[in-house]
Amino acid sequence: MRKKIMYSFPDEVLEHVFSFIQSDKDRNAVSVVCKSWCEIERWCRRKVFIGNCYAVSPRMVIKRFPEVRSIELKGKPHFADFNLVPDGWGGYVLPWIVEMAGAYPWLEEIRLKRMVVTDESLELIAKSFKNFKVLVLFSCEGFSTDGLAAIAAGCKNLRELDLRESEVDDLSGHWLRHFPETCTSLLSLNISCLGSDEVSVSALERLVGRCPNLKSLRLNRGVTVDKIANILHRAPQLVDFGTGSYSAELRPDVLLNLAGAFSCCKELKSLSGFWDVVPAYLPALYSVCSRLTSLNLSYATIQNPEIIKLVSNCPNLQRLLVLDYIEDSGLEALASSCKDLQELRVFPSDPFGAEPHVSLTEQGLVAVSLGCPKLQSVLYFCRRMTNAALVTIAQNSPNFTRFRLCIIEPKTADYLTLEPLDVGFGAIVEHCKDLRRLSLSGLLTDRVFEYIGTYAKKLEMLSVAFAGDSDLGLHHVLSGCESLRKLEIRDCPFGDKALLANAAKLETMRSLWMSSCTVSFGACKLIGLKMPRLNVEVIDETEPPDSRPESCPVEKLYIYRSVSGPRFDMPPFVWTMDEERKVMH
Amino acid sequence: MPNMELQLGLALPTPNMIKGFDLNNHRLDHLKQRGCFSNKSKRSFEQAFGNFKQDGKTKTLLLWSGQPNEEEDHKDQKKTTFSTIDDSNDDEEVEQVVGWPPIKTWRKKIFNQPNGVGGIENNRVADKENGRSIYVKVKMEGVAITRKVDIRLYLSYQTLSNSLITMFSKDKKCGDDDSTRYILTYQDKEGDWLIAGDIPWQSFMRCVQRLKIIRNRD
Repeated sequence: MRKKIMYSFPDEVLEHVFSFIQSDKDRNAVSVVCKSWCEIERWCRRKVFIGNCYAVSPRMVIKRFPEVRSIELKGKPHFADFNLVPDGWGGYVLPWIVEMAGAYPWLEEIRLKRMVVTDESLELIAKSFKNFKVLVLFSCEGFSTDGLAAIAAGCKNLRELDLRESEVDDLSGHWLRHFPETCTSLLSLNISCLGSDEVSVSALERLVGRCPNLKSLRLNRGVTVDKIANILHRAPQLVDFGTGSYSAELRPDVLLNLAGAFSCCKELKSLSGFWDVVPAYLPALYSVCSRLTSLNLSYATIQNPEIIKLVSNCPNLQRLLVLDYIEDSGLEALASSCKDLQELRVFPSDPFGAEPHVSLTEQGLVAVSLGCPKLQSVLYFCRRMTNAALVTIAQNSPNFTRFRLCIIEPKTADYLTLEPLDVGFGAIVEHCKDLRRLSLSGLLTDRVFEYIGTYAKKLEMLSVAFAGDSDLGLHHVLSGCESLRKLEIRDCPFGDKALLANAAKLETMRSLWMSSCTVSFGACKLIGLKMPRLNVEVIDETEPPDSRPESCPVEKLYIYRSVSGPRFDMPPFVWTMDEERKVMH
Repeated sequence: MPNMELQLGLALPTPNMIKGFDLNNHRLDHLKQRGCFSNKSKRSFEQAFGNFKQDGKTKTLLLWSGQPNEEEDHKDQKKTTFSTIDDSNDDEEVEQVVGWPPIKTWRKKIFNQPNGVGGIENNRVADKENGRSIYVKVKMEGVAITRKVDIRLYLSYQTLSNSLITMFSKDKKCGDDDSTRYILTYQDKEGDWLIAGDIPWQSFMRCVQRLKIIRNRD
């Protein structure tokens, strides 16, 4: 009797119910209840997230989910951001676009991260998807403004074009002119990564003027501060604004105009940009400060007291990105003014200098952790740290979800006790039970990994550099961190033993990156042989790994789970340890 | 292939601390030259992982480590950069290890170019705009990839053209026959596109911003 009732719901009813289920996790859970639910669910899934573009093939995705409207893909490993992944490694989006052009004519959204996008791909997107709305290219490369022109011209209903942090070949600022006069649908435009070549400001002004729903606009460095007022006057409804270069000869009329324009923007909550900032223009912002929830000053080479003045005027600030010019004193001011602060990122102004030239130490972070009870996410570059400070921070901020500390000099010990920082980071993982992301630095022994394996049960991503003593460290992490999805390691004495003992763990993770460690070529081959659902890739730019003895360590290795087998687009310096294909690329 | 056993789920023994097993990049460069681990560290490696069974071939690490001066090399190369005591580095520049500190490339550019030149351009190709090289982007009509050339390497339009022909000959689409002619154009500082060859080479070098090779449709 019960069974009958189960199946008596018509598909449409189930489908309607499922339409309220948006998260991928929940959708995945729904699809494993039974065969009919799986079948119904796959036809009505509209959004797919693929964290590693090589984990599955486009055809497999299309076969399983035939009616997708929105896709998100990630390509290169995270360490590609720091030049550890050689050019040409992979992450090409074109094969995906080609397949989707045929299968998903109604595709509306494409979001890519760390992928190689060509003008050809962009032209294909513009041509193939009649209802295309959202293009986000986060840290992508390989395309030029010609490709952008094709998108502008071809996508009649474009809502979002976001090129954040991508490398674009800036051939001509005139691509903006390709937005037809009929285009009024833009909600978000982020061109902050474009070079300083002149973007056609007049085309920009016209575009902004005819898009009444534009909420987010981030300009590039080529737009100077005197041009901002005109743009803002055309878009007083903006919620998020990124200035271009915030620099010009100081002229009172320009300053007044600018202040006036900013004060018209009653909805403005988020500011960024501020390249080459001339402090005299900062007062133009004061009318907006009280409403600001997000402020990105990380390109702004301003110092105190200007930073303090600005930050003290933003009581509602939730997110601050800033250079270490803020110093401990500025962070103390932040701690007393911004009680809603949730995210703080402090970047180094002089990352390669041997001597610190700003007074930014562990004290600043301690102050913020003390004064800002909602602090959840931290990225902090500094030059010294103590266990005591880390313990205090951990106790003050049990709500951390992301904690990334970068002590600039590798293997720096606690500067007061000269001990490793194991205990400090141990306190972080012990107190912050919801920690999902952690980056370590400083002098660390295997002990810190023991703490991490014991306490960091919700940790999903761990970044390790110049740490540990032996394989035991890696073993603690792989055997203890139940939620681990991404592990990236460089320059640590971790070798075969821990990896081989925990090989099965790798199938529960998205990926593992190890470079300049001591994993042998033989171990890589063994894992490749024994674990067919893992792609084991060895990167070696000097010579083929099998030209050396098997016990020799590999330069870089990248292991990820995949249901589509080894990839076919590997460059000459990447070898796959695949059972059938042996060692080849 | 060695028959290394997978030790699934077994606890690892407490290892002997491998003292001095310092894996900085110098060390690895050193390894690359010689091919493998040194004699000394091989012993400590085996000491710690004694029950890590290897079939047959006891390697070969020995083959690579017969050099008498090795230990001294170690010491020399083990500069104080990564020492455990902070203040020993005061007198030296921080070693520029690849990818460290972990800052995205374009962030580093903010400080190098105070006048806003370049923004976030592709600097993975060594972008040395410091007076010694002038890199200029070259795009060829019909070719997806944009290349870069160092204008200073050439003495004349002829040498530049020859080099570009060689560079792009691999990229030419099959559709083009040999009779297709191309014109070299350049963008000058005012943003205008002109046909290359009109002005003296020296003047050209000073004002060229980028190059484009287009098909001659005449």
